[in-house]
Amino acid sequence: MRTREVYVTGFGLVAPMALDAATLFERICQKQSCVREHPRFKALGFNNSAAGFIDDGQWQQIAAGFGGNAALHPRQSVLAEFVARQALLHAGLTPTAFAHTRSGLFLGANKYCADSHDLHRASRFMGETGRVDLDQLLDNPAPSSALFGRRVDQQTLHLAETLGIRDHISTHSDACAAGTMAIGSAYRAIERGEIDLAICGAVELMANELPYYMFNSLGALCQADLPASEQSRPFMPDRCGFVISEGAAMVILESAEHAQRRKATTVGRVLGYANVCEAQKMTSSSRDGSKYEECMEAAIEDAGLLSSAVQHVNTHGTSTQANDSCEALALQRVFGECQEHVTFTANKSAIGHSLAGSGAIEAVLSLISLRDGVLLPTLNYDHDRAEYPSLTFLSEPMRQSINVVMSNSFGFGGVNSSLVLGRA
Amino acid sequence: MSIAVYIHSAAVLNAAGSECADLLGTPPSPQPLAFDATRRAFALPTPRLASDLFDRKIQRSVEPQGLRLLHCVARLAPALAALQLPPARIALTAAIPEVDAPSPCWDAVQAISEQPQKPLAQLLANTPPLHAITLLNSSVMAYVAEALQCHGPMGGFCSQDNAGLDALVEACQQIVEQRADAALVVSSSPNLTPALYLREPTPSAEAIFGEGAAALLLSSAPSRTTPHALRIAGFARGYSADPQRGAAVARRVIDQALSLEKLCLGDVEQIVANPEDAQLMSLFAEHPRGVRSARAMTGDLGASTLLSEIALALHHTQSASATPGHTLFVSHSRAGHWGALLLASETLEKHT
Repeated sequence: MRTREVYVTGFGLVAPMALDAATLFERICQKQSCVREHPRFKALGFNNSAAGFIDDGQWQQIAAGFGGNAALHPRQSVLAEFVARQALLHAGLTPTAFAHTRSGLFLGANKYCADSHDLHRASRFMGETGRVDLDQLLDNPAPSSALFGRRVDQQTLHLAETLGIRDHISTHSDACAAGTMAIGSAYRAIERGEIDLAICGAVELMANELPYYMFNSLGALCQADLPASEQSRPFMPDRCGFVISEGAAMVILESAEHAQRRKATTVGRVLGYANVCEAQKMTSSSRDGSKYEECMEAAIEDAGLLSSAVQHVNTHGTSTQANDSCEALALQRVFGECQEHVTFTANKSAIGHSLAGSGAIEAVLSLISLRDGVLLPTLNYDHDRAEYPSLTFLSEPMRQSINVVMSNSFGFGGVNSSLVLGRA
Repeated sequence: MSIAVYIHSAAVLNAAGSECADLLGTPPSPQPLAFDATRRAFALPTPRLASDLFDRKIQRSVEPQGLRLLHCVARLAPALAALQLPPARIALTAAIPEVDAPSPCWDAVQAISEQPQKPLAQLLANTPPLHAITLLNSSVMAYVAEALQCHGPMGGFCSQDNAGLDALVEACQQIVEQRADAALVVSSSPNLTPALYLREPTPSAEAIFGEGAAALLLSSAPSRTTPHALRIAGFARGYSADPQRGAAVARRVIDQALSLEKLCLGDVEQIVANPEDAQLMSLFAEHPRGVRSARAMTGDLGASTLLSEIALALHHTQSASATPGHTLFVSHSRAGHWGALLLASETLEKHT
């Protein structure tokens, strides 16, 4: 028994083609991909235009629920507020709740990334000598929703102000692990007794031109001649990279005492967490899976459990050769003879890889599996041709009551993190 | 805190120099910016990395901001190695806001400016070093971890000026909770690019930014090379976007940081804070005293400010004339973060 138990009492989520967690969960259950051809990528002449992206129709609905003129705010802030409102509603909290208790906000995000419109606009203020006319640029302000005025922690600040967060706000920028690390940090802050209530997760809008090019030049993006929805193929032998995506998810964490005092309905519990730096290689882990294994073992130990207690794993499963082989070997090492009793899922074949957003989104999907007793299939997974057949990835959704799920996020540069979640 | 955490060693790099003692010298003058002669700042030449510690390709693939950080932290390698700890017991936390992007974007901006009709895909293909490694803070952290062999818990923070305190607190807690025996805390200021000025919500013509980096080595045991040690004695964080509530938050934060040592503000020997922040300075009106700051020597170092000031405090502690006492660091970010950190300078027992 921990000194302070940490309950999950609500969540919110926006992903490509899904404006809430239930819709996304249902889409994946029905094996409907959220990955499509991105019209702007296509127009700009990129070889492969597959992406998960929040489309104009979704943005209109997100903006409609914004508590102000959405056009005056960066999209990251608008999205953060939309998802936070969902989470608050789900948890039965009012926005003022954070101002009246010891509270924190922990958000993962990586870089603000200029899109092609931003780059073209800035280029108009660059002189022949290559110098930017800063005064002219400042004197011709773009809306605050655009250009280089954006910063990586803008959505954190917007939410902190909107919710009246009292004690702790932080922005975590730990690559693909940032969302999981934000949730883990919030969990630790409550467990230590620093705060009683937290909203945590990630907001990432990287499905635009510059990140696409950057990840593609690294060889991390799938360039297979396949329909967009079939490109991400986690743990399959013909996998060849991830599909870039975007999205946001947040969860409400509370100390058990705080949740019980206000008679909150509990969605799940955070049981354990670990984050480990390996720096083995910039874009892959130790080939034998030992570094990922260390991280998972540390999270299970933090939860006070044995690996045999974990019944389901939401893998990082990026569909790159390096990640999936390292993770598969690590899973085999962690679960050993128990692995036949464990089921696995990889959500990125359905949603794409939203970097910081992915860990938070996958944590929410894991919580729904715990709550509803439904395990998600892995799209584009064929067990008959699987490279790691001893790992039971589901091709179809499965109804099964489970008590403990582990959710993995492993970032570039060896930022590894695992979260252990339990049923309410 | 049941386990004590000490500031074991420190390294700095800023306009004043690359030694902590340089922060006590004659203030340098800020110079006009390369891209805007009407604004002044403390720019630094891009350092060259030690080839015995870092792969040569890093020099080419990391932005100046990351290179400053790596150059700075390299000087802690001997002290860290001397601790003889397993890599898994060494944590790494970083405060590197906006370390890479959007400044790489300026290469793309320039390419577009020169060839506006060319398809973007082709321009990007010829615009180095646009790849994901330069995009993520974790890349710089990984280079630190690889070179200095720290493979314990890690965390990167991007909360503007407050990121330094976030990184320090995270590192301290990893040691207190026995997940690590030592920790590297690294920080960098933003690059002096147009983006830095555009990012600020109310760009001030008077803002004098500086480029720099700072790194600390925390340990559960003090360095035994000097008769005095600098111990982390308390910390607290708070936030308020509402200036009306800011003073109350700040007082709570200060009280909380002092509480473990059962001190009040009047008991503190030294206060370190930004003397140009009127709201912050008003907190000390009832206990008037000199407030120290190295800001005039370096410019506003953003996320590196706190760690640079701590490095200077360690330098004072390790001097022959050091006396026991407490130093309180109080920070206030433009966004509304408040932070307080209490350090205790103590005489080590074997030297008494």
